[in-house]
Amino acid sequence: MTDLSRRTVLGATLGLAGAALLPGRPARAAGSMTAAVYPGGWDEALRAVLSPALKQAHGVDVAYEPLFAVDQIAKARAARGTAPFDVFVLDPGPRVSGIDLGLFEPFDPARLPNRDKLPAGYADTVGAGVAAQVVGIAYNPKKLAKPAGWRDLFKPEYASRLGLTGFGTTFGTISLIEMAKVFGGSESDVEPLFVELRKILPQVAAVAQPAAMAGLFQQGQIDVMYTNTYTVTLLKSRGVDIDFAVPETGAAAFGTTMHIAKGSKNIDAAYQYIDTMISTPVQAALSQAPYFFVPVNTGVTPGADVPVKSLDELKNFVSHDWSKINPLRARWIDRFNREMAK
Amino acid sequence: MGEGAWKLAVPLGLAQFSFFLAPLLLLAATSFATDENFSQFSVQAWLDVLGDSFHLGAVLNTLRLGALAVLATMLLAVPLALLHMVAGPGLKKIILLAAVLPLLTSVVVRTFAWIVILGREGVINTALLSTGIVSSPVALLQTEPGLILALTQIEMPLMLLPLIAALARIDPSLLDASSALGASLFRTLRKVVLPLALPGLLAGATLVFASAATAFISQSVIGGGRLAYLPALVWQQAMVVFNWPLAAAMALTLMGSVLAVAAALSALARGAQA
Repeated sequence: MTDLSRRTVLGATLGLAGAALLPGRPARAAGSMTAAVYPGGWDEALRAVLSPALKQAHGVDVAYEPLFAVDQIAKARAARGTAPFDVFVLDPGPRVSGIDLGLFEPFDPARLPNRDKLPAGYADTVGAGVAAQVVGIAYNPKKLAKPAGWRDLFKPEYASRLGLTGFGTTFGTISLIEMAKVFGGSESDVEPLFVELRKILPQVAAVAQPAAMAGLFQQGQIDVMYTNTYTVTLLKSRGVDIDFAVPETGAAAFGTTMHIAKGSKNIDAAYQYIDTMISTPVQAALSQAPYFFVPVNTGVTPGADVPVKSLDELKNFVSHDWSKINPLRARWIDRFNREMAK
Repeated sequence: MGEGAWKLAVPLGLAQFSFFLAPLLLLAATSFATDENFSQFSVQAWLDVLGDSFHLGAVLNTLRLGALAVLATMLLAVPLALLHMVAGPGLKKIILLAAVLPLLTSVVVRTFAWIVILGREGVINTALLSTGIVSSPVALLQTEPGLILALTQIEMPLMLLPLIAALARIDPSLLDASSALGASLFRTLRKVVLPLALPGLLAGATLVFASAATAFISQSVIGGGRLAYLPALVWQQAMVVFNWPLAAAMALTLMGSVLAVAAALSALARGAQA
């Protein structure tokens, strides 16, 4: 065999392999973009409701990248200016980090035709609010009586069935802060929480990563945990015995916002994506079973099982100042690791 | 081998340099950097890892987990490999299939299956409770013994396959000679079979150790938040806390300690072969 024929064969093979790869890649035409989305309930909901609506209204294809809020920030930061996706979806803590790190394109609310449907202040120069999340206690009604509040979790009957998770997520952080408050702490002082945690730690059913909590609940390893209402409705729809309890000190609520990533090449599509997200049909569909999103669109009446009936009601929920929490969080995370270690 | 044979190694060498060595050097630089642009350097991250009892404890925990997983897999793999050596072709196939089977399922599925098995309402506890052996569920999930049990199943192929290969290379006439010279079965095993199988055993030990010590998903899901191991701490510092220098120093400590153990084992293996 001559060199030439070997090369021809090799070239042909590589060509074929390359051609085989091509159809798998989404077309990177003007009408396509990538959006980060929280894994789990959000991922399912946006793929089922937002994607087809966006395709229909603007002909834009969206590819989702499932990432928790902190992971989105970590990934965008590691990419050093090359946007790994076009749109972020974030909780307040990571939102403040993103602003501080300069990860967002300047946002112009005037480019959202549906902006009039949002309450004042929901769209600003960094992004737009697209939903709200409510955090409280989830428990198994077949195994435990409904807990009255955060303090109950420290009673033996609840503590021995409790699943703990640290300050790594927004829901974990604000739940632990709310517990600290019950014992005399505050947004910037969680020391009283650690004192109480030390007392119950030997009995606690599990200490786990946030992503493992739902699985542990489903398997009966834990029967009470702190989480957001989305996790509760998702597990309920899968047949898990789970109910949401609003603590006596109030459930905590926070807004979920979308932002356009700095350096995005699909800015037009990104605005269309966010605008479709806040549009009346999408918000209405998302507020119904099985998603139960808290709508931000003032024209939408929430579904029966949505924990917040109107945005006015949201003002009565406990909120937090993330510009105070963020600088303290790294130390709390480290402290939690050390306190939990056997 | 021809004069220019080294050229064949150039493509892989270049790929290794650009996709492995260069990022590794960058990681090392990150562990000393105080900001993202590498404008200033300090040894603070290293002091935080090596001078802190919690972090040192996590290093030792991780190494200990690797060592215990090696012991547990060895204990189960040696008899199974010996059985494979003397078994007929049918049984040989069954043993090999059983050995390879765990490799064919995803680590996430395997790990979740272990939650179902080890949990409070899991298979083991249900069996123990229904037979009346225990009156309340035994804690298995989120304990070190439970984690080692799961890792033993997950890592078993890495021990069993090199061991089976090493045993297959033993000349059967050596065993006949040993017994003809009056050695008991046990003595033949101890003096002939095990020394000859040692390279395979050490290769398996190296693989199991490296894999168990770095098994991030199994450690965090089955081990839980009360057992501190380096991989989960690296992830947390890098992805949640954004303390990249500390994450880099921890990652290099993990790599260094796993490599040191692997190097010690391979030195032993060379000694065994000599």
